[in-house]
Amino acid sequence: MIYTNYIASVLLIVLGLYTILYKKHIIKIVLGMGIVDYGINLLIVSIGFNDGGTAPIFTMSELISGAYFVDPVPQALTLTSIVIGACVDAMALSLVIKLYKQYKTTNADEIRRLRG
Amino acid sequence: MKFKNGIQEQDVIVKCAADKFLPFALVFGIYVILFGTVSPGGGFQGGVIVASACLLLYLGYGVRGAADAINAEVLRVNEAIGACIYVILGVAGILCGCNFAANVFYDIGAVGDLISAGTITFMSYAVGYKVLTGVGFLLLLMLGLLAAADDDDETPAGENE
Amino acid sequence: MITYAHFPVLAVMGLFFGAFLVEIFGSRSKAVRNFIAIVTAAGAFGLIAALIKPVMLDGEVISYWMGNWEPVSGYAIGIGYEIDQLGLFFALLIVTTFLLSGFYSLRYMERDHHLGHYYTLYLMLSGSVLGLSLTGDVFNMFIMIEIMTFAAVALTAFRNESRGALEAAFKYLVVGSIGSSFTLAGIALLYAQCHTLNMAQLASILAAGLTPTTLFAFALMFTGLAVKSYIVPFHAPAADAYTTAPTSISMVFSGMVNKAGVYGMIRLVYVIFRAIDLPAMQMLLACFGTVTMFVGVTMALAQHDFKRLLAFHSISQIGYVITSAALGTGLGLTGALFHAMNHTLFKGLLFLCAGAVLYAAGTTDLDRLGGLSKRMPKTTVCFLIGAFSISGLPPFNGFVSKWIVYQSIYAKAVETHNFAYAFITIVAVIVSVMTLASFIKVTQAVFFGQLPASCAQVREVPLSMRIPMWIMSVLCVLTGVFYDFVNEHLLHPAVKAAFNATGYIDAMMGEGYAAAAGVANVEVAPVEFSYWNPILWLVLFVVMLVAVFFVILTGRNTRGRVLEETGAPADGKYATYFSGEKSMPSHVGGSDLFWGFKHDWKSYFTVMQGAHSGVVNDYALWAVFGGAVVMLFMFTFLR
Repeated sequence: MIYTNYIASVLLIVLGLYTILYKKHIIKIVLGMGIVDYGINLLIVSIGFNDGGTAPIFTMSELISGAYFVDPVPQALTLTSIVIGACVDAMALSLVIKLYKQYKTTNADEIRRLRG
Repeated sequence: MKFKNGIQEQDVIVKCAADKFLPFALVFGIYVILFGTVSPGGGFQGGVIVASACLLLYLGYGVRGAADAINAEVLRVNEAIGACIYVILGVAGILCGCNFAANVFYDIGAVGDLISAGTITFMSYAVGYKVLTGVGFLLLLMLGLLAAADDDDETPAGENE
Repeated sequence: MITYAHFPVLAVMGLFFGAFLVEIFGSRSKAVRNFIAIVTAAGAFGLIAALIKPVMLDGEVISYWMGNWEPVSGYAIGIGYEIDQLGLFFALLIVTTFLLSGFYSLRYMERDHHLGHYYTLYLMLSGSVLGLSLTGDVFNMFIMIEIMTFAAVALTAFRNESRGALEAAFKYLVVGSIGSSFTLAGIALLYAQCHTLNMAQLASILAAGLTPTTLFAFALMFTGLAVKSYIVPFHAPAADAYTTAPTSISMVFSGMVNKAGVYGMIRLVYVIFRAIDLPAMQMLLACFGTVTMFVGVTMALAQHDFKRLLAFHSISQIGYVITSAALGTGLGLTGALFHAMNHTLFKGLLFLCAGAVLYAAGTTDLDRLGGLSKRMPKTTVCFLIGAFSISGLPPFNGFVSKWIVYQSIYAKAVETHNFAYAFITIVAVIVSVMTLASFIKVTQAVFFGQLPASCAQVREVPLSMRIPMWIMSVLCVLTGVFYDFVNEHLLHPAVKAAFNATGYIDAMMGEGYAAAAGVANVEVAPVEFSYWNPILWLVLFVVMLVAVFFVILTGRNTRGRVLEETGAPADGKYATYFSGEKSMPSHVGGSDLFWGFKHDWKSYFTVMQGAHSGVVNDYALWAVFGGAVVMLFMFTFLR
């Protein structure tokens, strides 16, 4: 159990959620979404850690029974999650660019034509 | 500071640095894609490194320079071609009698060679090609949007809070 | 060589492959693009329909490991696709909806630009929702949810210039991203505790009991999937998104994307965690469902826009599905699944009619439309069928499913002696009455009454847009009249599969695995339609209808004629007037109906409409607040 990693990931998630909920500039909201994603990525990678294990990369001669390595599945999950985070950021920033062109403002309080 | 083409007017130093670093970035990115099965890296990582060459062009030459050097239409079509190759490699598993994405090329090369991991090697190359073209197209598109937005209003974006 | 076990993967991958092909060839030729889209959609429909015989009728559960990675010494190491009757039920709804939507959008979208991107996104949305309902791996489900979110956000913003499209897409992306992040965190914690990602193996490991980590994971995944099904308080971006998306996509949203979230929740609560027999869990879901029903329909009564009204009704009907699925009985889940199927059919029909009105008249504002039944009679008939279905009138399908829902909630109240369930029954009936009121308002405001001058030139929509509407109307009527057939062949296998965890686990992991882990089945008796037989009510309704017509026909007709039709201004020189004044258009329109109701409930509407403020931070606050409520409730009551 590596406590620093888990505490840091929870802090990142809470910080990201705070940014989404309280900041009014829409680029800051997008940054908040990114921070939440990175916090969860840190959580997933930390889950796979085994104390004293090596990296799970072997050529044929090194693969003996009893080899102790860290869990490779969370690493694959994290890679996928990083890709998804990049795509979410790209899509959100494209929307921000077009919103600025149409509404001439980046304040979330003024981007509210649909309400009620 | 004078603004032209969306960024600060090009310095000679920045343009020279972009010129010198571009081949290294491209070669390193293609290395990471090709050697994905034997060292850390793989399709997505290498593809993003190669796509950052578009950013180097933008830093050195501005939006006009980057858009003139790379044809965005070709990138868009090739992204879909890379994805199609991935699906065809998966279906090749079904055609050979096993399930989807089964390892049908399992007897190519020994462990530790460049092309040795079976179907996943080629799938990784297809993913690398797709990410390369896709992220490059995305970068060109967003830079083009920003340049068009800056041409409409004279001031740079993002003034409040 | 290609047996039917390969069909699900071929269907999903075929849709993605079609999307990439449209990307390559779509910008050059319109005919090639339409051909690829329709052939891919029809191919997927055919492949999934071919699975009805082995899975639904013969009762087999197809288990498919990608890459032939079979479980090794009792541990699942590959990605598995498992198709049981519950998944196939939702998959059938999904393929029907998107095939009809694709057919409809051939003519509906022809005035837009960049249609290559539209068809790519539409095929990716369809492929991802289909993959979600067929997968047996919890991380694969998360990936499909993400692809679905991206495609849906891009399609919401497809018509950039239409009012509010970009901001609706941005809000959808922010709140959807919060939901997806919660789901991913839940999956990570679940993996940390159980070291597997396969749903069947998770179900058997979690049968031993809940630890605090898995309970937290349950709360997170529950919140994430609730965000995707758009129940209150996560519903606000959905209302915006259904309004601004192109109508063929709104139909897909309300028919498919909602149901994907509902399917995820049923799979999570019924099969993986098997927590549906805990009374606290039932009460939590029932409360969510009741609040959703009520808030959805009251907000709908106050709307001025046709599609936003339909969006709020969609949210309200999902409340019915969730409330009935919360009960944990066979009758309750039957009602939930039946209502989900009927909701797809009649809500899709209503959205297609709204799209027809938008295509013909150019606006969806209730205050500017009126009297369209004179110019678009066939659309009016289809809309009336949809409106009667959603209000629950016999002989349409809404009546049967709503009756089963009321019956199951009341049976639960009698069984547990809990007054809360009786109260929920009363709320459900009141919500149904308000739904009927709201649709009377829409029908009068849009289709009956007087034709304003701006709509005098509308024409009936083209044939390729009317065929999907007719198909859905016919299905609405058929599932209402032949409900016994539907129940026996589609619903009862699905309900049995949801309770039959042993069969689900054994099909993936090998015989005897479930028994070794201590998983037992819950027996489900088949639903019997007894003295509350809908056919009797239909006969009664027809008798009353005949009596009313008889009274009308034998009475005197002394209604005066309007001297001058509205619309074109009469020639001032030669026309005759009453008392020197021309008659003005006097259409009783959208804002005038039920004004008394809105006036009486002014304080409620001020609070609710103020809460739907349109600011993205507020909607995100609701989502996080809902998640906090779920987590607190679970840690207090489910230990």
